[in-house]
Amino acid sequence: MSSGLAACEHARMAIRVLIVDDHAAFRATARSLLEADGLEVVGEAGDGASGIAAARSIRPEVVLLDVQLPDTDGFAVAAELAGNGHRPTIVLTSSRSAEELAGMLATTAADGFIPKAELSGAALASFLR
Amino acid sequence: MSRRHTLSWCLLATGATATGLALWAALTSSFDDNPPAIFVFFALIALAWTTGGAAAARRPAGQRMGILMTSVGVTWVLGALTDVDNSFAFTLGLLLNNLWAAVLLHALLAFPSGRLEPRARLPVALGYVSVLPVQFAMVMVATPKDLNSCDHGCADNALLVTRNQDAFHALAVFQIVLAAVAIVWGVVLLIRSWRRATPLERRAIAPIVWLGSTAILMVIVGSIVSTFSKSGADVPGLISLTAFLLVPIAFVVGLVRARLARSAVGDLVVELGETPGPGGLRDALVRSLRDPSLEVAYWLPEEHAYVDAEGRPFPDPAPDRGTTLVMHAGERVAMLVHDPALAEQRELVDAATAAAGLALSNERLQAELRRRLEELRRSRARLVEAGDAERRRLERDLHDGAQQRLVALSLTLRLARSRLESDPAAAEQALTAAEEQLTQALAELRELARGIHPAVLSDHGLAPALRALADRDPLPVDLDVSLEERLPWQVEVASYFVVAESLTNVAKYAGASAVRIEVGRVDGRATVLIADDGVGGADPRRGSGLRGLTDRVEALDGRLTVKSPQGQGTTVLAEFPLHAE
Repeated sequence: MSSGLAACEHARMAIRVLIVDDHAAFRATARSLLEADGLEVVGEAGDGASGIAAARSIRPEVVLLDVQLPDTDGFAVAAELAGNGHRPTIVLTSSRSAEELAGMLATTAADGFIPKAELSGAALASFLR
Repeated sequence: MSRRHTLSWCLLATGATATGLALWAALTSSFDDNPPAIFVFFALIALAWTTGGAAAARRPAGQRMGILMTSVGVTWVLGALTDVDNSFAFTLGLLLNNLWAAVLLHALLAFPSGRLEPRARLPVALGYVSVLPVQFAMVMVATPKDLNSCDHGCADNALLVTRNQDAFHALAVFQIVLAAVAIVWGVVLLIRSWRRATPLERRAIAPIVWLGSTAILMVIVGSIVSTFSKSGADVPGLISLTAFLLVPIAFVVGLVRARLARSAVGDLVVELGETPGPGGLRDALVRSLRDPSLEVAYWLPEEHAYVDAEGRPFPDPAPDRGTTLVMHAGERVAMLVHDPALAEQRELVDAATAAAGLALSNERLQAELRRRLEELRRSRARLVEAGDAERRRLERDLHDGAQQRLVALSLTLRLARSRLESDPAAAEQALTAAEEQLTQALAELRELARGIHPAVLSDHGLAPALRALADRDPLPVDLDVSLEERLPWQVEVASYFVVAESLTNVAKYAGASAVRIEVGRVDGRATVLIADDGVGGADPRRGSGLRGLTDRVEALDGRLTVKSPQGQGTTVLAEFPLHAE
């Protein structure tokens, strides 16, 4: 299903994920789901600024990044994170569909996009760099 | 005939009679040796002043000026008494020979009102002193020949006590000095009032100031020359006569100017017929009133405010400007803001505004229409904007609320399925969470739907819908809905949102302890009243909520009134006309 996940299991180390989303309910559900899939959620952030700060201090392997944030949007945060020295895998997510966001996704610095309803550990791991 | 006209005819009759008598006296005199042409000139001057006075007396507030001008003419012909054979009349002529000069100074300084300002009283008094008591003293010590009244064969000076050349010359110099002081003083005052006049006032006084000043200066020159000249009285006398003839001409010029101004009203009437565009009426009034600073403000009775021709609010006039209210058919139509000097030409302004009344009334309606159109355009833009904003809010609410819940629900269900076999307890826990998320999503959707349009309103009408609002309100609400039947649905919806928004405002800002809501139907109108006992001071022009309500109500031809005196609670009243359908 996913070579990334296999590689990870081979290394006997869980993938470390940071969730950036302003809805606490989604963060909680995503955390249970990803942890059930064997990933390690190492941090949560409610807006773009604290998301960037957390990414710099925690240095996760993957950042799950909501497109719509209260202070900025996920595309701007992705560009900021991509330009940084430590470059995590950046996966955008949204309750909107990929078609709705197609224009923005075409040029983003992020590595991938998962609609919120289709989130799973395997889907996330598939974008791992 | 009006009193003005009676006075005018009396002045004319007096002047004509005096002139006639003087001519008769001079022509029947046994000793006068002046040629008859001089008498005609002399009589013309008297008649010019008399006629000028009669004409002035016809003008409103011109009576005093008219009497003064006619007095100049009548005192002028008194000089003819020095030509009669009767000794008493002759002596009276010697005494009053120069009175006209003082009256002339009086008339010039009293122009245009006919009243002397306090500062002009002293020079005028000096003038009278020089031609009455001083002249009296001179007559007592001089012969008619000394007095330059006749050369030979004239009547006796009945007042002569003893001939004293030295005393006479001293008195003559004193008289000239007094007269000169009075005249120079008077000229200074005239120039001073010229310098202080507004442009409009200058138009009125210009001929009098310049011709009048010139004339009295020429009279001085003439008097000085005649007193010290030994070569006879002809040349200086002619100078004086010519100068004197100029002054009534100045008055006549002034009158002609006033007439021209009146005929400008005639031009205005013609121009008004040519239907000027916005602001064209103002230009026509500027031309006829000759005041480039003139502004026209139109009265909007409903808004209790003045606007310009384009319907924009008109600022209060500065305190140094004159204002004239224009009425038409008993109603306030407009206000002219103009040069304060126009108040002196009340008659002209009245004539112009009377002529322009109908046109101003039409232009007022136009201004009102433009204002309404502009307001309509704005409210339409606001309604569209409000609709767009509402849709954005709905999208946002759906996205943040129900959609997030459903996304979470979907993830939770996936989690449950993945644990179903490996960890049934965790799966059951996830299913419980999913159930909870579904319940919340449903509640949020219901709330959202009610915000868009309350179903109870369309299904059961205003009373139960308002009851539901009242029950949810944190404050005690006294609700009184007295409606026999249901209102048109648009009115129901607007009324519902007026109440909902008002209750929200009360809860947010009013600091009230109770709210009263009354809904009723009066005289073909539906009325919705929301009153609280809070702090008041709400400004209906501020805040998009009340503005949006106003637009909603006005879109149905209704009216929203907000009364919110500081500290006395707020009352919102919406009234809707109910058209028979």
